[in-house]
Order: sequence, then C-alpha cells, then structure tokens
Amino acid sequence: MPFWPRLNTLWRNLTGRQRVEADLADEIRSYRELLEDEKVRDGADPVTARREALIELGGAEKLKEEVRDIRRGSAFDALGTELRQSLRGLRRNPSLTVLGTTMLALGMGASIVVFSIFQSVLLKPSPFRDVNRLLTIWETRLDRGVDQATFSEANFWDVRSYNHSFTEVAAYHYAEANLTGLGPAEKVIASEVSAGFFRTLGVSPVLGRDFSYDDDRNGFRNPLLILGNKFWKTRFGSDPSILGKTLRLNDRAYVVIGVLPPGEPWIDDQLYMPFGYRPDADRDSWEFQVIGRLKPGVTQEAAQADLARIAEWLAPSFPKEDKGIGFFFTPSSTWVASDTTRRALRVLLGAVTFLLLIACLNIANLLLARGTARMREIAVRTALGASRARLIRFVMMESLLLNGLGVVAGLLIAYLGLGAIQSLEIRDIPRLADAGLNPWVLGFAAFIALLTGVLSGLAPALQAPASGIAAALRDGDRQASSRGQGRLRNILVTGEVALSFLLLVGAGLLIRSFSHLMTVDRGFHTENRLMFAVNMPGPYWEKSVGKQFLDRFFDRLNANPQVLAFGAINQRPLEGGDPGMGIDTPQSPAKPPWAGWRVVTPGYFAAVGLPLVRGRLFDENDKPVWIPKDVLPYPRRVIISDRLAKQIFPNEDPIGKQVILWKGQSGVPAQVVGVVGDSRERGLAENPTLTVYLPYGTNALTTEFVVHTSGNPLALVPTIRSLVAALDPNLPISDVRSFEQVVNRSVAPQRLNAILLSIFSVLALALATTGIYGVLSYSITRRTAEIGLRVALGATRSNILGMTIRQGLRPALIGVFLGALGAFWLSRYLVTLLFGVKPFDAVTYVAVAVLLLATAALACYIPGRRAMRTDPATALRIE
Amino acid sequence: MPPSNTNLLQGTLDVLILKVLALQPMHGLGISNRIAQVTSNTFLVKPGSLFPALHRMEEAGWLTSSWGESENNRRAKFYRLTAAGRRQLKQETDLWARIAAAMARVLEVS
Repeated sequence: MPFWPRLNTLWRNLTGRQRVEADLADEIRSYRELLEDEKVRDGADPVTARREALIELGGAEKLKEEVRDIRRGSAFDALGTELRQSLRGLRRNPSLTVLGTTMLALGMGASIVVFSIFQSVLLKPSPFRDVNRLLTIWETRLDRGVDQATFSEANFWDVRSYNHSFTEVAAYHYAEANLTGLGPAEKVIASEVSAGFFRTLGVSPVLGRDFSYDDDRNGFRNPLLILGNKFWKTRFGSDPSILGKTLRLNDRAYVVIGVLPPGEPWIDDQLYMPFGYRPDADRDSWEFQVIGRLKPGVTQEAAQADLARIAEWLAPSFPKEDKGIGFFFTPSSTWVASDTTRRALRVLLGAVTFLLLIACLNIANLLLARGTARMREIAVRTALGASRARLIRFVMMESLLLNGLGVVAGLLIAYLGLGAIQSLEIRDIPRLADAGLNPWVLGFAAFIALLTGVLSGLAPALQAPASGIAAALRDGDRQASSRGQGRLRNILVTGEVALSFLLLVGAGLLIRSFSHLMTVDRGFHTENRLMFAVNMPGPYWEKSVGKQFLDRFFDRLNANPQVLAFGAINQRPLEGGDPGMGIDTPQSPAKPPWAGWRVVTPGYFAAVGLPLVRGRLFDENDKPVWIPKDVLPYPRRVIISDRLAKQIFPNEDPIGKQVILWKGQSGVPAQVVGVVGDSRERGLAENPTLTVYLPYGTNALTTEFVVHTSGNPLALVPTIRSLVAALDPNLPISDVRSFEQVVNRSVAPQRLNAILLSIFSVLALALATTGIYGVLSYSITRRTAEIGLRVALGATRSNILGMTIRQGLRPALIGVFLGALGAFWLSRYLVTLLFGVKPFDAVTYVAVAVLLLATAALACYIPGRRAMRTDPATALRIE
Repeated sequence: MPPSNTNLLQGTLDVLILKVLALQPMHGLGISNRIAQVTSNTFLVKPGSLFPALHRMEEAGWLTSSWGESENNRRAKFYRLTAAGRRQLKQETDLWARIAAAMARVLEVS
C-alpha cells in the first residue's frame, strides 16, 4: 500500500472532519436522488419512488457510521497491524530485545546525561541582558608579571568616571557576614556592590527596588539589602512581606529593599549591600571585581584603547600604587565555565557520540543477523504481495521500537546518573546543579532515538531482497547471499572496534592523568586534617579582640587529647583567595618574582605537615608586618617557601637576609627567618607555589583553621563547635571539611572526566565484544557444513579453532589499526585536559590494543570451541 | 436462478468495482448498476456494502473521487481509478485467473 497517500488521507480525516462529514452526507443524498430518478423513469410515482429509495438505502445514518468505521479503521489499520507485528516479533525474540534495549539504554543514558550537562552549562542563555556586551575588567601590572588582578576601590571609581566606552561600570566585592536573629548564627555571603551593579548586568528586582545612585549619599555603607532569589526562597519561603524587614548582619541592622529574579547560581544564594563613593577610597588593596557594559556600537578594541588612555593618566598621578597600570577584559562567558571546562564538555560529548554510534552498529548487526534468519519469511511475504517499501518500513519499525524502548530505559539511567554527578558538587561548574530532564533534553532524547532507530534499521532494511525471492526460497543459495552480508557485518565490527579504541585510549589517558594528579607531591600532608572557617565580624578586628579569641581558642585546642597539631591561615589552601606581592632582595635590579602571601600562626606548618628546610618557624615574638602608627617599629620577620628562596637567593643561605615585601608597591623591608618546604597550594595541577608566610597578630587575623587529629577529623566537629560557641555564641563555624575532601573537591572536574570516559569506554568494550561474538557465532553456524567437510578431509580440531579465531580477529585487528590512527589524530584535543601524560602515550596505546585484542580473542574463543566440536557426520547432514 | 442476496467477499467486491471503473469514471449508483448488469444480476451490491468499499479503496489510494454532474444533471460524486488502482486490478485479475483455472481443474477430476 502506498504510504504517502495514506498519510494524506489520515491527515485529511483528522483535520477536515466537518468537511468530510458534509461531503459524505452529500454523497449519500446524491445517491438517493439518483435512485429516485431511476425509479421515476421506470414508471413509479415520485412519492413511491422516494419511499423505495429510502428503503433501499437502508438508513443514511447507519451508512455514515459504516463508512466512518472504515475510514477510521483503514487510516490506523495498516499502521496498527504493522506495529503489532513488530511488537510480536520482538517478543518472540526476547534475547534480541533485551540485549538490544540494554545496549541502547546504556548508550542513550550516557548521551542524555552529557547533553543535559552541556545544555545547562553551555547552551542555556544567560539571564543577563545582552551578554556579549558585558565584560569583566581587570587591572594589570605587566611590568611586575601581573596579568590579571582585581581592582582597587579608588581605581574603580576613576575608571567609572572617566571612561567613554561603557554605559555603566560597576563593582562587586565578595564579603561574608554573620546573620543573627533568624535562629542560630549563620555565615552568609553578603557582598558589597556599587549602586549600578544590577543595572549593568541587566536584571531588575522582581520585588521592591534596586539600589539608587542616591543611596550612597548617606555614607559609604548604607544599611540596605537586596536578596538573591534563592536566598529569599529557601530562607523566607518566597514571602513577599520580606520588604522592609530588618536583618542583623555582623550585629548591624539592615533593611531589605528588594529581591532579585532567579539567575545564575552564583548570584542567587546571597545578599547584596551597596557601597558608595568616598574620596578617601583605598587605591592599594585589589579587592573589587569590576564589570562593564559596552556602549552600543563601541568595540572591545575601542574600549581597550579608551582605558589605556585612563591608565596613562593614572600611572603618573599615583606613582606608588598605579605604576605600570594597565587594563584588560575577559568576556562574560567565562563566568559560566572556563575554557578548560568547555573543552572537557566537548570531549565528553564527542565520546558519548562514539558510544552511541557503537550501540547503533551493534543493533544493526543484531538486526542483520535476524534478518538473514528470516530470509525465508521475508521471501514469502514478498511473494504474497508485500511491497519493498512495506518490508523496509517493517524492519525500520522494529528498529524504531527497540530504540523507543531503549530511550525510555535510557532516560531512567540518565536520571540516576545525573543525580549521582550532581551530588559531587563540582565548584567549577556552578550551573551543573541546574541540569535536569527539561523539555530540551527530552527533545534531544527523542531525536537521538529517532536517529539511531533509522541508522540501525538502515542496514537490515536495505538488505530486504528486491529481486532474489526465488533464490532466497531455495536453500542452496544461502551461502551466496550471506557472504556479501557477512562482509557488511565485518565492516560494522571493524567500525565498532575502531571507535572503542578511541574511547579506551581517551579513558586511559585521563585515568593516567588523574592518577598522576593524585600522586603528585602535594607538599603538605592531607590525612586526618580538619579544616573549618570562623568568620570574625568587624569588632574582632579592633584592638586585640580577635587575637585574644585566637589565643584562647588555641589554648583549648591544645588541651584536647585528640588534637595533634593546630594552626590557622588567612586563605585556605586550594580553595581560598590568592593575594600576592612582589618580593626580592633590596639590591636586585631584576623584576621581582610574584609570590602569594599568607598570614599564619606558628603552629600552621606543623598542622599541615610542611617541613622546615632551614632556619626556624615563627614563635610568639614574631609580630605582623603591618606595624600600627602608634607602635614603635620592630624588625619584620617572614618565612619563605623553598622554591622562592632558591629564586631570590640562588647561591646563598637566605636565613637572616633582608627582602623587600611588596617590592614595586609599598616596599617594606623584612628579614627571612626560615625556609619551609614547597606545596602545591594553588592546585595539584599547578607547579609548587612561591609563597611568603607572615606572622599573625592583633591586626593580622587568621580565619581558616587546620587541625591535625589523631582519628577521623570530622569526628571532632561537635567539640570544635562547642569550643567556639563557649567563647562567643554568635560566631558560627563554616566550610567544615577534611583536608582530603578539600583536595578531592579541587580535582573533582578531572575525576569526573576520568570516571565518565571510563564508563563510556567500558560500555563500548562490552558492546564491541558482543558484536564480535555475534558475528563470529553466526558465521560459524552458517559454515557448519563447510567445517564438517574440512574435518572429514583431515583438519584437526586445533586447526579449526585457529581458523575460527583468525577469522574473528581479522576485523578486530583492522579496527585496532584504524582506531590507533584515529586516536593519534584526535588526541590533540585532549592536551589541555591531561596532566603529566603526553597525548601520544605509548604505554596507553599498547595497553588498549592488547586489551581490545584479548577481549576479541575471548569473544572468538567460544564460537571457536563450538566449531571445534563439530561432528562431520551431523554437520554434513544439516542443510 | 440467481441468488438475490449473495454474500460477497470483500476482495471480490473490490475487483468488481475496479473492473467497472477501468472503462470509465462513474458515480456510486452507476457502479452498482453496472455490476448488476455485467454479472447478469448475480451480484447485487447494496449501498451498505458499496459505500464502505468505495471509501476504503479511496483511502488505499486505488480510487480518487470528484464531484461532477450525472446524466440528468444531478450533482454526484464520481470515482476514478488511479495508477495504483490499475496495478491492483491487474494483480487481482491474474490471481483470479489462477484460482479459476485451479478450481476448474479440481472440479473436472472426479
């Protein structure tokens, strides 16, 4: 039956229902009238003629009903029959159905997970208006090797006032505060933003109002608050009466004036307060993130030149702070995901495409095998009148059904898999939490189900016999038709093996890379260390309140038998910020190296296990390098890391020598009293950092604590909480983690990549192995007679086994070779994701090749044994 | 004596209709009249069988229909064979010929 006309009538029946009904009524009436005419012509009178015609018609309504039945029936009838037949076919072959569905479910589940992440992170549009006009602006001091730094407050105001290229420039300063009054004290993120910040982003509050430019007339910090949307939802249950309420932050009262719309995850769960212009703004401390919205028609190059002009004016005007100043932009797309993340996601998408392809090839193989077995059935169908188109449709429908089942199961797998990944809480990808089975993802799932259904149905569909019906009905020609088909199946297997090779190599490289990452020398020791933060509000930073707290806290920690060592630092390793300085000997003419500086308590080094290389550690006599104005100057003491010591003092003992801190900025002399071991403090994938350690004191407080415990570090948490609460009940502890957890979080993206790619490649291996087994097994069955003949003519069992395995391994070998070529060509895309491993890593390639060939050989062995046991007598009788 | 109400198999009716329309397009009443005439009243097709059959064959794509004027200027729906319909007619004709020949052979042997 022709397909398209039927589709046409189906469409017509569904849409033009009324017209069709009217047409039918007309036709029946016309029939009656013609019948009447005929009777009148034959001699009846009009009344009789009408009555007789009505009787013969038998009731117009009944007629209409019967036609309607036919119409409804025939439209869906053929489709329904075919559907039922396909379902029956699948049910009769449970092994095919289960195997096929499982393979597809795994392949599709993986694809759906990756696409869902991809869509949420990269494809979803930003909630900000006109995102490509939005830039992050950075300060630079290229002469000191600083190519990206946050702004100082004063520089921000100047850039804002004097630029010509931006409609608005705004700043954001990350800050935390203690929220009290709403249950137990809690640390929240309460950032300071300039009044035009949200306008620059292009969002306006859904409730209340934005900060106005007048708000800063009441002083530097106006006690107003705008809430992020998620904050409002979770803590106040989206209560609209929140406007005008007061919240206590760091013991000050703030009034809520607005609530933001839902947006990116990193702006959603925090509070915002305004900061205004003050003439004595700091120009020395680089703390502000600055964003700008380009004026319409202004290019980035023009804006760059504009800011260069401002830099040229700033540098001589403020020679101490702004010497060598420059500016540089990054696009707002980096807010969502760094380039590395984007690259990784694309690699994953590619990998999952390969996996899906392999699944398709396998399904095609399975269906081909079954198609051949049903040659005779197909031939009979053709003889009975099934057109070629109908046969193709039949096979396609089977494939589509399988894929439909597969995608449903795949969605389930994707749901579970996505949940597992999201529980990892990868910081680098904030939008990951939003990934889910939304309509876009569901649409994608339907799309790949259709695509794979068509692809995997194509091979067996095209193989439906066109002319060789008679040949197919004759047994003797089974050989001839199967040889060409056998070659097709071997090609499919070669393809599967090649793609599997690619995936396995990728996974192998990432796994080796990740294991290198985890075994690299970290410098510090991470076992049994507890880390937590205590956010100290303003009053603590005045007089010696903070230091007294620290000292009392340390005393109590010391008394605890489970505490082996303890210390504190101002920036948590791996997760905290990275303030830096130029540091060098006073007499060195070269550009000073840039080192990260940290404030530490004397016990910190022991707590994290950094060894003392030379000199001594800090003691109670070492005071902060910031000397208050009302105190007599004292000698400043610092400890530096080993690499930094070798760089500044290449040939001499650094102990006792002078260095200049913040060389090129404020320039403060200090004496080196100790050298400690290096650590990979900025990340395991980075080089060991150059670090300067400064002593703590009343005006240099440390808020990140490290405690080396004798047992499980997290078991000490309740004790710590009560210790802190005993000293100050309004002081919450936050970010409680073990050092191991911190390390794991820092490498979570790499771990995720390695795990995902490993899962994909294991699946691929399983699929490819099944494919090889299937093809060979089928081929052996077909060649039973030939094998029997060989045995009868003198071939030994091992000959047969060898022949079988060789036959099965040939497509696998070609596949490995092609795969190696492909991997070599594609591996360049992996370079940025690797650590300590070259993309063309011979060990990995060889290992993967061996693995693939070994599993292929195993897959060949089973049918090989069957061939080996062929009894020539029975084999030759089978026909 | 010809039976007045013969049960027609659906397939048989299809062939009859196709054959009749092979000569010229006709409306429903004309088709049933012609069938009665050509088969010497062996097959009398009632509207209850005719209409469903016509619509079914139209859905299958063997016939198309269009409104026109009958002999005595009444509006009527005329049916016409399509190319697919012609093919179908040929297939069915061949099939019937084979069946008829086979039946004849069987019935001759006694």
